[in-house]
Amino acid sequence: MKTINIYYILGITLLISSILCACKDTLDAPTKSSMDESVIFSTPSLAEGAIAGVIQSFAETNSYRGRYLVFYGINTDCEVYNSLRNVNDDKARLSNYNTNVNNGQMNSDNNAWAKFYEGIERANMAIRGLRTYGDVENKPEMAQILGEMLTLRAVVYNDLLKAWGDVPARFEPVNAETVYLPRSDRDVIYKQLLADLEEASKLVAWPNATTVTASTERVNKAFVKGLRARLALAAGGYSQRADGSVRRSTDPELAPEKMYEIAKKECLDVINSGTCKLQGFEEVFKTLCQEQSRAGLESLWEIPFSEGRGRVIFDLGVRHTNVDQYTGQNRGGTNGPNPLMYYAYDADDARRDVTCVPYEWTDGIQVPTSLSRWCFGKYRYEWLPRRVTSTNDDGLNWLYMRYADVVLMAAEAINELDGPAAAAPYLKMIRERAFPGHNDKVTTFMQQATTSKEAFFNAIVNERALEFTGEMLRKGDLIRWNLLGTKLQEAKSKLTQLQNREGAYADLPEKIYYKTAEDGESVVIYGLNHGDTDATGQSLGYPSNKTWTLNAENESPYWDALFVRNPDEQQFWPIWQVFIDGSNGQLNNDGYNYQ
Amino acid sequence: MKKSLLIFLLCGLCCTLGYAQERQIQGTVTNGVNETLPGVSIRVKGSQKGVSTDANGLFHLSIQGNAVLIVSYLGYKTQEIAVGNQHTLTIRLEPDVTMLDEVVAIGYGTTRKKDLTGAVASISGEKLAAVPVASAAEAITGRLPGVQVTSTEGSPDAEMKIRVRGGGSITGDNTPLFIVDGFPVPSISDIASADIESIDVLKDASSTAIYGSRGANGVIIITTKSGKAGKFTLHYNTYGGPRKIAKKLDVLTPFDYAKWQYERSLLDDKPETYTDYFGNYQDMDLYNEVQGNDWQDQVFGRIGFTFNHNLSISGGTEKTKYTVSHNYISDKAIMQLSNFKRNNLTLKLNNKPHERVTLDFSLRYSKTKVAGGGANEQNEVSSADSRLKYAMIYPPIPVSGLTDEGETDEAFSLYNPLVALTDNDRSQERITYNLNASAAWELIDHLQLKSEVGLDDYRNADNRFYGTTTYYVRNIPAAENQGYPAIVFTKLKRESFRNTNTLAYDFKKHLPQDHHLQVLVGQEYIITKQETHTTAVHGFPKTFTFEHATNLSAQGHANSIENYLSPDDKLLSFFGRANYDFQSKYLLSATFRADGSSKFSKGNQWGYFPSVAGAWRISAEPFMENTHNWLDDLKLRASYGTAGNNNIPPGQMTQTFDVKTTAWVNGFNSYWAASKTMANADLKWETTVTRNIGLDFSTLNSRLGGTLDLYYNSTKDLLILFPISGAGYDNQYRNMGETQNKGIELALNWLAVTKENFELTFNANIGINRNKIVSMGQMDDFTAQSGWASTEVGADYLIATGGSVGQMYGFKHAGRYEATDFTGYDTAKGQWILKDGVVDASPTVGTLRPGTMKLVDTNKDHLVNESDKTVIGNANPLHTGGFGLSARIYHFDLTANFNWSYGNDIYNANKVEYTTTSKYHSRNMISLMADGQRWTNLLPDGTISNDPAQLQEMNANTTLWSPYMKQFVLSDWAIEDGSFLRLNTLTVGYTLPTKLSRRIGMNRLRIYASGYNVHTWTDYSGFDPEVSTRRKTPLTPGVDYSAYPKSRLLVFGLNVSF
Repeated sequence: MKTINIYYILGITLLISSILCACKDTLDAPTKSSMDESVIFSTPSLAEGAIAGVIQSFAETNSYRGRYLVFYGINTDCEVYNSLRNVNDDKARLSNYNTNVNNGQMNSDNNAWAKFYEGIERANMAIRGLRTYGDVENKPEMAQILGEMLTLRAVVYNDLLKAWGDVPARFEPVNAETVYLPRSDRDVIYKQLLADLEEASKLVAWPNATTVTASTERVNKAFVKGLRARLALAAGGYSQRADGSVRRSTDPELAPEKMYEIAKKECLDVINSGTCKLQGFEEVFKTLCQEQSRAGLESLWEIPFSEGRGRVIFDLGVRHTNVDQYTGQNRGGTNGPNPLMYYAYDADDARRDVTCVPYEWTDGIQVPTSLSRWCFGKYRYEWLPRRVTSTNDDGLNWLYMRYADVVLMAAEAINELDGPAAAAPYLKMIRERAFPGHNDKVTTFMQQATTSKEAFFNAIVNERALEFTGEMLRKGDLIRWNLLGTKLQEAKSKLTQLQNREGAYADLPEKIYYKTAEDGESVVIYGLNHGDTDATGQSLGYPSNKTWTLNAENESPYWDALFVRNPDEQQFWPIWQVFIDGSNGQLNNDGYNYQ
Repeated sequence: MKKSLLIFLLCGLCCTLGYAQERQIQGTVTNGVNETLPGVSIRVKGSQKGVSTDANGLFHLSIQGNAVLIVSYLGYKTQEIAVGNQHTLTIRLEPDVTMLDEVVAIGYGTTRKKDLTGAVASISGEKLAAVPVASAAEAITGRLPGVQVTSTEGSPDAEMKIRVRGGGSITGDNTPLFIVDGFPVPSISDIASADIESIDVLKDASSTAIYGSRGANGVIIITTKSGKAGKFTLHYNTYGGPRKIAKKLDVLTPFDYAKWQYERSLLDDKPETYTDYFGNYQDMDLYNEVQGNDWQDQVFGRIGFTFNHNLSISGGTEKTKYTVSHNYISDKAIMQLSNFKRNNLTLKLNNKPHERVTLDFSLRYSKTKVAGGGANEQNEVSSADSRLKYAMIYPPIPVSGLTDEGETDEAFSLYNPLVALTDNDRSQERITYNLNASAAWELIDHLQLKSEVGLDDYRNADNRFYGTTTYYVRNIPAAENQGYPAIVFTKLKRESFRNTNTLAYDFKKHLPQDHHLQVLVGQEYIITKQETHTTAVHGFPKTFTFEHATNLSAQGHANSIENYLSPDDKLLSFFGRANYDFQSKYLLSATFRADGSSKFSKGNQWGYFPSVAGAWRISAEPFMENTHNWLDDLKLRASYGTAGNNNIPPGQMTQTFDVKTTAWVNGFNSYWAASKTMANADLKWETTVTRNIGLDFSTLNSRLGGTLDLYYNSTKDLLILFPISGAGYDNQYRNMGETQNKGIELALNWLAVTKENFELTFNANIGINRNKIVSMGQMDDFTAQSGWASTEVGADYLIATGGSVGQMYGFKHAGRYEATDFTGYDTAKGQWILKDGVVDASPTVGTLRPGTMKLVDTNKDHLVNESDKTVIGNANPLHTGGFGLSARIYHFDLTANFNWSYGNDIYNANKVEYTTTSKYHSRNMISLMADGQRWTNLLPDGTISNDPAQLQEMNANTTLWSPYMKQFVLSDWAIEDGSFLRLNTLTVGYTLPTKLSRRIGMNRLRIYASGYNVHTWTDYSGFDPEVSTRRKTPLTPGVDYSAYPKSRLLVFGLNVSF
């Protein structure tokens, strides 16, 4: 009988013990492969990893890497989508001011919009963590990281505002209450960003002042100030508002003079710091392609794509129609300069042949394309120190801002505030760099430009085109100047003239004449300069020639494809359907007149 | 307690006293075919005395006087036999067709089928044994109503998708809960079918509620074979035979291939894409002479071989029983490099150290090795490497510049099919140990305490090689390692521990005879720990093969080493069940389970799942008396209950910072970021309410029996992986929305003939299920992408309120543009001008000309673009089912099992890829697009015709559009009816007469031949209609893209028992 009693006791003990174990924290299961914010954001080496987290969002497939860099900023008088003729194609519709809400390129849940907000969320979490645990007052390296985070967040917002106008303002990590937010007035965001960048400029070091800022892949004070100037000019400028009107902000805090003051101050800070310098124009882009990312030169900051990621040359560079000695991928030329651009340059302008390339590479040699299809020469596989092997990425950094932009913004702001005489030296810096050895031309130009404030403004408008074509700044500039529609109309009529060899283009020949140079790969072309004639062209005896025309025999007029609807009423992209659908009714495109 | 022991002792005394009057009898028990039955229980009525027949079906027993023997054996009718004066008996047992006494596993216990109140479908091991198959999942294909088993492709290790009554979740996995010998396991693919004693599927909440939280998608309980008391028995079963690809698709002839490339190059305005590779148009005739390579034959055409052997030994005494079995499968599959091997070892011990104590111990071990990379992968970065397309559309002939080794043109982007195989090689090894021990004490009479502990240890090693042609090595590694072979080693370790304690009491003593009440209470604790170790090594020398990379990994450059520890998954539960019946006529059962899960935060951790069910045995009512001559049994069942679901990854409560490897950001190898899935501290259990009405009947002297069930399940608080992109995260798990499944299930058994030398039985089952999304919370619809063509096709599934998961979303095709759709050809512009009012599909298909594919403009804006997509198909079948027959004529037996699916659509992505150029040149096509079928623009003189009348005349007999399109387009043309009826298995066997087999010392010897996938009746044009290859999310079922082709297998086998 004793054994039975033992069973009894055993069984009851077992039952009781199993019930007891329920009362403790049996069901706690903390995560293991993760780390606490307090550790990450108090340890510099770990906190830096959060910067990479934000850049990772930039590099996501359909983020900056595959969508924003290639589709934002076209079509303008400077830059176009090279297959713009397929006007109903979804890619063309992103650039011809007829963007559809369910655009096949953009209407997916992993698109730039989503990845930008992912980057913002990562920055927001890091900013909260750094402010709480980072001890930034006493630890300069943590201050640098906080400043970088504030700046990276401003970078993303800058591009969100440029592409979509009013967007949701998220400056704190998302919680259950803030998952769904409506569009915020862009003025609110601008003010926040201007404040953020002011703070950031006190946190980060000048280029080369620390080991971190020796690289343009990390944020330095010159970039923070330059970006603040860029945002100030946009905040004080024109843009299409949710009510459909195109106007400046009515917020007194964002009054144009105040914004010009900020731009002036920040740009002069950078210029006077002497931490950056203008390089030779071609040298700027060769330096970029050398991938050294050295600070203290012209580049202020670059999106640091690794060598195996990013689509800068892939989409924007000189096209290689097949794999050759310079590249293992046959890409480039998705976008290119507006055909007008080449002819807008003076023949002695050092920027012309760097910016506008009339050929593409086929079987390892340069072959002229057509008048309707140019390439940006600022990004070239042939300048890379390595041969690209990836089929989908080239790895070149995206040059987000360079010193020349700061100088021209200074000129623009100072002209508005103090008049052309005060602004002239800065414009002259750029002009002199563009015309090495042609001081006479610079002097003449400066004389004309400084005749009035308006003349100077117009000169700036023109100069920014010549300087930045291919850097996708034009669309934003035209919008803030309220010149988008005007310049596109102008481009349309100029293109017609170009095709018909009328007006400024009457002195161009019908054809181009070309041969392969002695190096066996470069092309020598006659017929691209004003004043060249077919008679001379034929007499050169070059083996090849082709009719240099915008509209080949079987093509509809090129200029008709530049824009479909009124650009001034279509300044922004719509928020894509997938994000509208997923916004719990908070987001819409009301007032923007999209289809 | 004392009292019961006393009774026991008294009994023993009585027996001893009566010994003097005893006499010995002996007998044999046989079945209908005069085969002896071992292990049959013989009990003397009214006493404790009993024996079992030995391996030869013999028994010896001592009895007193005119004893009555109760002879029972599973699957046969229990007989009572008065011994009378006989000394030698021959007892013939009749098979029990209705299986009313069959024991059914219902979770933490068993019940007789006749006492069931819930909807349970069962299949016994014997039925499975008739047609041996490799795995448990294969064994139930088409055999159980309401259980849909789909083999997603034809590889030897293909995932078997199992759904019980449709499944309620939208984004979640609807896989049922698998319980093997009481232990929850994630998969049943590594269980040998020969080890299975029975499979029971619990379908309604009254039966699944005992599993509470995890029972919402149904519960599949597998019970493995245990030893039986009696003499030592040995079963040996072996079979083997060849397998061969079941279907191939024709491709263009070399001449037609070249001819089409020529036309394509002209349409593309790039004649050099022909002349560079194929020469001049004038010389095309040369291609008439050449014999094309049959790549399908070279890649998938080998004759495979399957070998399977199973040895099981069992035996023991009343005190100790044991069974040991070993199962080995080796499968050389039809695809090159593809092999499968599995070893199973099972040991079970049962011991009764004391008359009130039972101890059980079991050990299961399995080791599975899968070689080969298959034809596609679910989690691959790109679908670019899907292998089937190489075998289908790679040039059939050597083409200089395309099929040479080395650089391949990007715009062609195909690699030699055999190179693609070696470059995507893979090996997987899974090892599972499962140990279970349990002890049961009968504390006092009718009160049993049972305590079980179990340990499940699962390890998976996956080595995936990427050769130089793969998308991975061209894009993922750092730039300096791109283009060099790489390998990724993934090792997963998962450990589960389980402790279950139950207390069961039978109120026999306290209730009048007509009332029966059994109560069970219990408690369970399960903890699962998981760890994944992933190492990626890049930049091996170009000459490295899979084997080199595996064995010499130090030669490469370690890219990332990641050890990921998942949060523990803990589940603590308390449950209870009460079964009551009155005269076995009115049955009532109630179940309650409380589950606490560590996946939810405090306050939401506990879920409570009650259920109730009742049954009424109508046939037992007095007013049914006059039906007894034809109606044996009629039972009406009804149940209502709830079950839950917590099938989400653990760790969703707090937003944590995880570290991840990156190859995208210069200067960094890793980054810290929050997970892309936003945390949600408010998550709680998903709940499914099920309502079930069922009818069990048995008529005509148990010759015809069946079960009919009607159900209506609704699932609320769905755990949806909700897309919230735009808010900073990709998605978030949420409880929102509601779905419902309604359906009817019917199963029938008919014993048509039961003559001594001729038996014929039929069985059939059908399940009809309708799934509907009632609500998705704050959304009406969202789209999903199957992604087989990267981003080219875009959204191709629509998940919308009012619909169901699996709605295919694309364009409606409207044939092709005829010349009459155009006003004419504008020579100056070089383009065809559409007539006013004719829809312009160019945004979707590219440049228009006569012969271009035409699409329906659903929104009437004259343009066909994303806005014109509409629902064009549904992957859900209207009904599925199976039927089978088994016959025995003298010593021959025949079994045929059919299964079907009716009314489901298949998204034939292969067809789109094999009939469309997209942006690629020089790709072959399937013969669907052969010359004479496709629209042609090519004149005999080698130019493109732009004359409307001429084109129309040239194409008077062609039926399809021109394959020349700027991208792959999903239209309803590629959505095909996936209905099929398959003769899944056909077996013919011969059993040697017992007398003969005895002579060679065997109890039984059977030889047989089985065919698998014998024939499929279908209108589907692809390889096989039973397919689903884009399984990364449950949102894109029924896509046929790059599936491993199915094979046909013929085996010859031998069954021996001693």
